[in-house]
Amino acid sequence: MTRRQKAIALSVTLSVLLLAAAVALNIGWIVINARRITPLIWGVVSFAIIIAGIIVYTVVLVLEIKRNEDHNTFLNAVTHELKTPIASIRLYLETLQSRSLTDDQRRHFYEVMLADAERLHRTVDNVLKAGAVRERRSVHGTDVDMAALVRECVDVAVLRHHLPPGAIHLDVEGEQPLVVRGAPEDLQTAIANLLDNAVKYSGDAVRVTVVLAAPTPDTVWVRVQDRGVGIPRRQLRRIFRRFYRVPALGAARVTGTGLGLYIVRSIARAHGGRVFAHSEGEGRGATFTVELPRAARA
Amino acid sequence: MSRLLVVEDEQHLAEGLRFNLEAEGYEVEILGHGGRALEALLRDSTRFDAVVLDVMLPGKDGFAIASELRAAGRYVPILMLTARSRPEDVLRGFEAGADDYVPKPFELAILVARLNGLLRRGRWHRDAAAAAGGDVNAQDTIEFGGRRIDFEAMQVTSGEQAHRLTRMECELLRYLVSNAGKAVSRRAILEEVWGVHEDTDTRAIDNFMVRLRRYLEDDPSSPRFLLTVRGVGYTLALPAER
Repeated sequence: MTRRQKAIALSVTLSVLLLAAAVALNIGWIVINARRITPLIWGVVSFAIIIAGIIVYTVVLVLEIKRNEDHNTFLNAVTHELKTPIASIRLYLETLQSRSLTDDQRRHFYEVMLADAERLHRTVDNVLKAGAVRERRSVHGTDVDMAALVRECVDVAVLRHHLPPGAIHLDVEGEQPLVVRGAPEDLQTAIANLLDNAVKYSGDAVRVTVVLAAPTPDTVWVRVQDRGVGIPRRQLRRIFRRFYRVPALGAARVTGTGLGLYIVRSIARAHGGRVFAHSEGEGRGATFTVELPRAARA
Repeated sequence: MSRLLVVEDEQHLAEGLRFNLEAEGYEVEILGHGGRALEALLRDSTRFDAVVLDVMLPGKDGFAIASELRAAGRYVPILMLTARSRPEDVLRGFEAGADDYVPKPFELAILVARLNGLLRRGRWHRDAAAAAGGDVNAQDTIEFGGRRIDFEAMQVTSGEQAHRLTRMECELLRYLVSNAGKAVSRRAILEEVWGVHEDTDTRAIDNFMVRLRRYLEDDPSSPRFLLTVRGVGYTLALPAER
């Protein structure tokens, strides 16, 4: 049993005992005052309040313990995400400084360090973004042509992850243009996070399909589908929670901060839309759909 | 040439470590998955002279790998190399059976120096055991209560039974023996044996004491030698005829 499970077990046991005592006292009160209506009613109401109080208290406590644990997991994950690229950059700098290297080796090491700096930048960005989107309830932006925006995101993802052309396939369906009113930078962040996840959980064979469509005249869908490790059904709703990480899936790498999908959801909501996930289960890929309201045509 | 196993799932770090350790004259093998690393080590731990072990790994984390190896009686030296540098993580690493703990980001020269130290101690221990045929220098052993502690061979023998000690258990015992008869505080132990100075949970010490009692006492629940000093810590009471 982990420390959290122990704490939860203890508080739940205590509450159950208190509840049992309250119920027993309540029954006793009813028996003793069976014929006296006023104290009977007063007693039953007071006991009901006590029982309700204990239940609310237990639920709040358990939720708080869980939140605390999530926060710990988050700190460990962020520590790992920040320190790993720093360790790597430092190791390569020391190597460049102290060893005699060929030009090819040197060029390769520079590339590795650039990739690590990029990773560091993305982690810092995500942490800052998660703080920023929390504050925001809605956005009043400009008209954004989603086809152009998504195409740009796909190009960036292919470059950033060194993917072969065609690893991410983009399909634009429906009547053009698909315009959404919002903040282009936020929308870009949301799509980029979904693409990064799709690539990260695909393993070595990256085959991602991005579909942009208008399922109804007033909505726009951006759908990102991968054929990677998939998501167990019970986790499908939890994955959008802040700090939440799916418990390690097979050979899945333990990277990320647990913020990516939370940011996607916050951005979708701020734009008056939503995001939902679908997966046939472990090993069978996952599909994420961002649904946004389509801007009224001028 | 010393053979090292580097268990690291971050490809860039693994590659960089391989390059540098090979340049230092080690033979290096890399595994990126916790479960597979443990399998490889359990299959044949003598193939490696030391293991550089990350903590956050897919499959099985570094703490679990170290403790399962030790539980299986494999004593290959382990250096933990990890981003988790809080005192409780360091203690947890040693408790799991690590011999050294280096936080990331690390300085290459220091990592290499510590690895060399680890390998050197391993060699000394092997040489001493070979030269003396088990009967090592008297000051490196101590006997009491029908037990014989051998600090060089890192084991406690009682009659026919022998318990191997991890390096930290051995260091802790050595500290207790050198302070025999005196009460030593948990904080002193943390600072002297682990070199940890920050405010930290000293209860981790108690887990070590429970294990040491299992090796040293006939009845670990009512100890005769390794005694708790209420409100202070512990004391090792050696019999007078020593």
